[in-house]
Amino acid sequence: MIPRILNAYLVECLKAMRAKSTYLGPVLAVLLSMLAPLIHPITDDSGSAYAFIAFTTPMVLNLLGLLLVLTFCAGLVSSEMGSGTIRLVLVRPLLRHEFLLAKLLLGMTYAALLTLLVGVSTWTVAAIQGRLAGVVFGGEMLHTSSEMLKAYVLGALLGLAPQFAAAAFAVMVSTLARSTGAAVGAAVGVWIVCDTLKYPLRIAPFLFSTYMESPWQVFTTYCEGLESSWTPSLYYCLASSLGAIVVFTAVAVVSFNRRNIQA
Amino acid sequence: MRLPCVLARGTPPSRAPQTPVVYSPFPFGSAGSELDTISRMPACVQTENLTKCYGSVVAVSGLNLSVRDGEVFGLLGPNGAGKSTTLCALCGLIRPTSGSISLFGKDLRRNFLEVSARMGVMVERPAFYNHLSAKRNLDLLARLSRREITVDRALDRVGLLPVAGKRVGAMSHGMRQRLGIAQALLTEPDLLILDEPTSGLDVESTQEILRLLRFLADEAKVTIIVSSHMLHEVETLCDRVAIMNQGRLLACADTDVLLSFDTSQAEVLVDAPEAAAKRLAAQPWVESVTIQPGRIHVKLQGASVHQLTAFLVSAGYRISGVIPRRRTLQDYFIKVLNS
Repeated sequence: MIPRILNAYLVECLKAMRAKSTYLGPVLAVLLSMLAPLIHPITDDSGSAYAFIAFTTPMVLNLLGLLLVLTFCAGLVSSEMGSGTIRLVLVRPLLRHEFLLAKLLLGMTYAALLTLLVGVSTWTVAAIQGRLAGVVFGGEMLHTSSEMLKAYVLGALLGLAPQFAAAAFAVMVSTLARSTGAAVGAAVGVWIVCDTLKYPLRIAPFLFSTYMESPWQVFTTYCEGLESSWTPSLYYCLASSLGAIVVFTAVAVVSFNRRNIQA
Repeated sequence: MRLPCVLARGTPPSRAPQTPVVYSPFPFGSAGSELDTISRMPACVQTENLTKCYGSVVAVSGLNLSVRDGEVFGLLGPNGAGKSTTLCALCGLIRPTSGSISLFGKDLRRNFLEVSARMGVMVERPAFYNHLSAKRNLDLLARLSRREITVDRALDRVGLLPVAGKRVGAMSHGMRQRLGIAQALLTEPDLLILDEPTSGLDVESTQEILRLLRFLADEAKVTIIVSSHMLHEVETLCDRVAIMNQGRLLACADTDVLLSFDTSQAEVLVDAPEAAAKRLAAQPWVESVTIQPGRIHVKLQGASVHQLTAFLVSAGYRISGVIPRRRTLQDYFIKVLNS
């Protein structure tokens, strides 16, 4: 099964790489990262460049990034369903859940790629406009540049969990819709409604989107020159994200397996 | 086996002569009894009580179908008859509500990976990734298949190799249709399922595709199931046809048997058509006589064409020709639907 999934994943990557729309999101994310100094200027202070990174990366990833992941992943299955190309694929020796997992892997790759690009562009801007020589206070080196980079990388890796959960959610919606427009609208709409009403409805503790800032807590605290350790909210973030990935994927597999593919 | 390019000109497609199997003789084959008779033959495709419902709408109802190895099987029926649903069910795109489907003697659902590797499918209007070239489309599909991949050969067979680099979005409907057939042929399948394969093709391309399909059946022993509205194409191509209406199999018969001469009627070229018609109309063994310029069309009732000609000769008429009437698929189709 795994070779077939990887093979299908490779095919999906090739298809995505040849579609112009794939590049729109990453370009937007990079542009926003590069324009972020307009919102959060970088000064000559020792920690300013790191503060810029700590502000920009979560902002771009948690707002625009999440929206881009939802949009991209919501179109993965529904676009094939709408155009009819899915009929070409599902008559090949590939099981439906394998096809779906390949799509999900593609969505996760997209999310990881966005994180990578935002990270690279943010650090590049910070390096050009500021100093990335560690966090210094009163002449004392509180956190070296290497420590800061490690904290950032860890934060970025942990931050992938809610991004992946968003991808799984959008892929699930994608299997339920017949057109890309409907799927994107439903995915983004449901996300906005849930995020807006999660506190009144008291569902906030169970939603992965509640904890999207958590992975960045160590890096952010380091930027302020303080020591930090992980708080329980990070574990909630990981648990809710993992739970969401499992539940959304299972629902997607079941619904997709039962679906009739006919024009 | 090296197969020829479809663009190679040759004689029109024609079915290889076969020993007729009279399990469902003209005019009305019994769909119910068919399964019993042909179950003794090796079946490439077999459905048992296949039923598909969409809510309260029954698209296919209790379909018992059996397609033999290496034959070209035609599925006919008016719009909404259930042909496409049946074909989609055969290739696993839709889940039957009840009943079973076996391909190559194996249950489709339990052995999907194995059987799907051996079949090529084109159902409904073929759709492709429009932003990619024809070759790139097939390359991607070929990666998902588990057989020896022959992208260039598949394109060559349908005459698309010269435009392999052209973007699919810029292709005409006919070219896309041919590309649809190419993707079905991609893995040298043992079973081809084609839904209206010549839809939108011009006359020449249609002949080429029909010739190719006939060649695949005759030389490469590929089993082909084809649905079409073009009765004359089915007549030319198929060894056996089934007629569906409102989700039910109405009849199934050998094309050779269906297209045999109809000995119950004939056209007679006679020197005095009016007088001859008058004499014939009085005979009890003549059902009806129609006068046409220089000829009469006689429908017989329990008599042979030989008896008819003997009568006319003995009555002193000069006969310059007797044209026995050949049955057409259209006759059969209309008769079955009307019944």
